[in-house]
Amino acid sequence: MIEVRHIIKSYTIDGQTLKAVDGVSFSIKKGEVLSIIGHSGSGKTTLLSLIGGLTRPDSGEVVIDGTNIWAMGDNSLSEFRNRKISFIYQFASLIPTLTALENIMLPTAFGHYGADTEQYARELLGLMGLENKTNSYPSHLSGGQQRRIAIARAFINRPEIVLADEPTGDLDEDTEEEVIRLFTSMNQDQQVTFIIVTHNRDIAAKTQRQLTMSNGVVSELVK
Amino acid sequence: MKRIKISGLALKNLRRKFVRTAVLLLLVAVVTGTLLGATIFISGMRNALKIGTYRLGADVLVVPEKNEAQAKAALLSGEPTSFFMDRSVYDSVKNIEGVKRASPQLFIKPASFTCCYNVEAFLVAFDPASDFTVTPWLQKNLKKPLIDNDVITGSSLPVLKGDSLPFFGTLFNVVGTMEPTGMKFFDQSVFMTMDAAYAMAANSKTKSMQPIDIDTSKISAVMVQVQENFTPDRVAIRIEHSVNGVKAIASDEVVSNVRRQLAGLLKGILGISALLWVISLLMMGFAFYMIVNERQRELGLLRAMGAKRAQIFALILNEAVLISVTGGLFGIAVGFSLLLAFKDIMIKSLKLPYLLPSGDILIELVFGAILFSIITGLLASLLPAASASRMEPYEAIRKGE
Repeated sequence: MIEVRHIIKSYTIDGQTLKAVDGVSFSIKKGEVLSIIGHSGSGKTTLLSLIGGLTRPDSGEVVIDGTNIWAMGDNSLSEFRNRKISFIYQFASLIPTLTALENIMLPTAFGHYGADTEQYARELLGLMGLENKTNSYPSHLSGGQQRRIAIARAFINRPEIVLADEPTGDLDEDTEEEVIRLFTSMNQDQQVTFIIVTHNRDIAAKTQRQLTMSNGVVSELVK
Repeated sequence: MKRIKISGLALKNLRRKFVRTAVLLLLVAVVTGTLLGATIFISGMRNALKIGTYRLGADVLVVPEKNEAQAKAALLSGEPTSFFMDRSVYDSVKNIEGVKRASPQLFIKPASFTCCYNVEAFLVAFDPASDFTVTPWLQKNLKKPLIDNDVITGSSLPVLKGDSLPFFGTLFNVVGTMEPTGMKFFDQSVFMTMDAAYAMAANSKTKSMQPIDIDTSKISAVMVQVQENFTPDRVAIRIEHSVNGVKAIASDEVVSNVRRQLAGLLKGILGISALLWVISLLMMGFAFYMIVNERQRELGLLRAMGAKRAQIFALILNEAVLISVTGGLFGIAVGFSLLLAFKDIMIKSLKLPYLLPSGDILIELVFGAILFSIITGLLASLLPAASASRMEPYEAIRKGE
């Protein structure tokens, strides 16, 4: 279970303090799929980073399975991210010097993983329809293929929580469908919790819960 | 199973920016190479001085007053020279208080020497009855005294045992070759007995186109060993006070002059090396600052995947160490090449003895050079690595956009 409690995050730009996230509170049960909809600059990505332990809030708590992640030391928080959380970004996030397979396996460089990891990475490549791109470098892949590899990488650590920021941004409709099917299957088979930031109301409509965000404040849409 | 390691990531990152990596490698190579080459050169001079001084075996060298500079040049750089004084100097010196042993020598510059290509040979004649500088070597290595026209040669002369050498119309037989000392006085000299030298001079009047005029009343120098309770300086002063027209050069004085020259040289080389080092440190520091800056998003992504601060720090340091070690190895090759290329020119212009240090010392110097280059790389990358590891992941990802 994820509990976000009265979280505030502000930035100072040109001497002016802007609250990107302004006293947000909500909770998500394990295995839930939640979407956050909002305009650009509404604070969605910052909120996702606060939940994922990437940026420290000015105040408030993010409690995951009973532990306030912002009370953890940096090493513990890094291990926690490595074991339990994955991110999918709205930009190309592959390392250009690594092959598709190596990019998927990259998180394993920072933690302890079993001997079956490579096999699992190959399976994920197959799920993304890229089994023939195992040894291809990002520069030889299309934008859509790169996104699919980044999505496959998000599952290599068998995460409990996936935080996805516009995960299907530049994918064609068919691939978008496949990604959504993968998310659904991961959610149903492995009880993975998803928080998806999206502009796409169709995708949001497929999630169990929807939040809207505006000027750093969230409100829940009641279906 | 395929494993992704931080060291592997570092290597791939370096390959990505090949030109920049090559420039950094070159920088480390030049600094390491210069420093190593200079250190080996200085060690070689110190080594030669140590061995040469030991081999000289004399605490004081007595020469004609007006030929002091020539005598020093002959001792230090083996410059062939001829100067003479009366044998009575030897008789006077050996009876001076503080003199344990004294032995006369003749220094003769050959008029022509066709056997040895462009190597300048120097004839040194010693008195087997009183000698204590060449004879110990003969006893140890040849196990018999020199007789008639037997000579032994220094290691730099391209002659072998059994060869014949003509000097002033007399043929001499090479019966042995000394091991290298680094001092040309020994390495480029032909040692013969004084009797042989006097006979050669007498024969030259009828057998040589360029005769020399040396009779048995002439000597060039007196080698002196002082008694244990006397210092060479003190005995040298006594000699100069007692015998007119001579200069008594304490070997310490020769050595300390060279040491002074070496110290000056060392300061110069160290100054240049230190400057090069600071420049390379700044350039590498700047390069790593750029590396970290342009990879902010990537480093932020790694942190988001669970990389700890220490792992980001290690990744940057790994890149620095890879550059340093590879650059250092290139530098060692560069250093040895520079040394080989410029050694002779430097020795000639500096007029100082030189002998390549022993294998053990060379290995120490090579390891020292690698260690030095690693420390340089680590120092240069320390701040950028620390700054990279301290970045908040979200900030790093955002700033890198």
